[in-house]
Amino acid sequence: MERLLVVRCPELLEEDEGGAALRSFAGVIAAVEAYCPWVTPVRAGICSLPARGPARYFGGEGALADLVQEAAEQVTPAGVGVADGLFGAVLAARRGLIVPAGGTPAFLAPLPVAVLGQDDLTALLDRLGIRTVGGFAALPDPHVLGRFGAEGAHAHRVAGGRSGELAGLRQPRVTRLLAGDTVDDTPVVAEPGFWGGVSDADTRAARCLAAAQELLGPDGVVTVRLQGGRSPAERARFVTWTAGGPQRGAVPGGARPGTATGSGAPWPGRIPAPAPAVVHPDPVRAELADARGVPVQVSARGLLTTAPDRLSVEGGPWEPLSGWAGPWPSDERWWSRSRRRGARLQAVTARAAHLLLAERGHWWVEATYG
Amino acid sequence: MFVSAPDRRLARDLDPAALAALSALAERTRPVAASRTRLLPVAPALAGLLPDGALRRGSTLTVGRPGDDGALSIALSLVAAASASGSWCALVGHPGLGAVAAGDLGVDLGRLALLPCPGAAWAEATGAVLEGVDLVVLCPPFAPRPAMARRLVARARERRAVLIVVPGRAGWPEPPDLQLQVDEATWEGIDGGRGHLRRRRMTVTATGRRSAARPTRHRLWLPGPDGTVAAADDPLDPAA
Repeated sequence: MERLLVVRCPELLEEDEGGAALRSFAGVIAAVEAYCPWVTPVRAGICSLPARGPARYFGGEGALADLVQEAAEQVTPAGVGVADGLFGAVLAARRGLIVPAGGTPAFLAPLPVAVLGQDDLTALLDRLGIRTVGGFAALPDPHVLGRFGAEGAHAHRVAGGRSGELAGLRQPRVTRLLAGDTVDDTPVVAEPGFWGGVSDADTRAARCLAAAQELLGPDGVVTVRLQGGRSPAERARFVTWTAGGPQRGAVPGGARPGTATGSGAPWPGRIPAPAPAVVHPDPVRAELADARGVPVQVSARGLLTTAPDRLSVEGGPWEPLSGWAGPWPSDERWWSRSRRRGARLQAVTARAAHLLLAERGHWWVEATYG
Repeated sequence: MFVSAPDRRLARDLDPAALAALSALAERTRPVAASRTRLLPVAPALAGLLPDGALRRGSTLTVGRPGDDGALSIALSLVAAASASGSWCALVGHPGLGAVAAGDLGVDLGRLALLPCPGAAWAEATGAVLEGVDLVVLCPPFAPRPAMARRLVARARERRAVLIVVPGRAGWPEPPDLQLQVDEATWEGIDGGRGHLRRRRMTVTATGRRSAARPTRHRLWLPGPDGTVAAADDPLDPAA
């Protein structure tokens, strides 16, 4: 299970009406992001980050926890804890503990069953005389599934330290509000209408887009926002259109300045401008071959094995290339399991110019300069 | 607009400085709404393509050729200037907009609504959007029946919106007010594995109706090195 560091801000656990708590929580996340870019909001007042990498860099989990706590406390009182899995880490944060790797089951064992947060299960276990998480974890698997059902079995896995994801632990709504949804730092200057405020054009557009949404469903009408990223697809994010306009943002005024995904940050390996006008939502398979028909591949060093000469898109006819450029190797997140290795290539045929991506042993048309 | 005929004679007798001041004042106090009723602005490089030098409200354009290379870029560059000056735009039926390219062309993404996959209801959705959005770029997923196309054209005229159709393979059965066609597109900047795509030189033919029925050809950089549109050189002589 993943080592997680959890920051828990006791004063921000309840959402208030004006969103002030969420706004200060966004500030906490921004402060913690100085130590790791992948801070995930779990629920209001609680966020987590993978501890392994940053701990190695900052000289141990204790040192990292101190640094993170100091950063968070610039904004609000906070507790920090480290454990295996999210559930254990949240409990550790409540107590300000660093549970050693592999020690999470032992840490959970003496705690009362109520920490699992499932009232029915707690009452039932209480009647059975099982009062601690450890006692529950000691029950044999097959019996738990038969007696307590699938939910009970899942809680059992959590109690035994085999899973950290407990149902109801995360609040996806909060995650959506805060994660990735970086509200622009710059206030948007809306063109005022004749009488000030929202212009007439905005009102008319809002009315007809709402009508289109009624016809196609809420996700049928989207708007786009630019963000940082390497590939053309990463650089745009599509969000469901809402009458308030995308400029208003999800958290009113809750900007998270200086995040690593800001569009101003440098992205080594990004293909230079101009950007392609068409980005295929699902990359299209392509075949690339040299003059003798030998498939072109990318070597481990990021070089082409042979010079490309013709291209076939989606099993279509071979088209001769009038030009090509690249490859631009990209090796993303090489330090983690979600590593993506590939190389990009620009290829021009008589009909179109494509941005190709070599990944997982195949060529894909990622975008077209349509 | 505010001066009647005898006053205009008077204006001619004024000294040039006063006249300039007066005309500047007239420009500033001109009713904003009236100036916007008829035309929507386009980038200077594209003005030559259009009979009025701007997009006429209520008109329909088609952009494309069988190969379809560059059609979406032209459509986006047409809506960019109007979008930047406060008009709303919608793109219907195109699931893969390159948003970075659109932004580079000058489209205000805050005023761009996308209906990427309207499915079978695309014509209805386009009709709904034409009610309140100034510029609608439509990529029909399949060829519409002539009556359906006529209805959309009529809706655009009635609501004083601009309908830009990128027919792609589907085709568009109604003759538009203006037809833009990519004759030739060449990329510059790459050579045998070196460099990167820098800019595309494009020859576009515009064929209008009535007074603009004679095709005119124009050369554009679309996109230019910075992603914007620029005139490649002077417009060519009208096509033979």
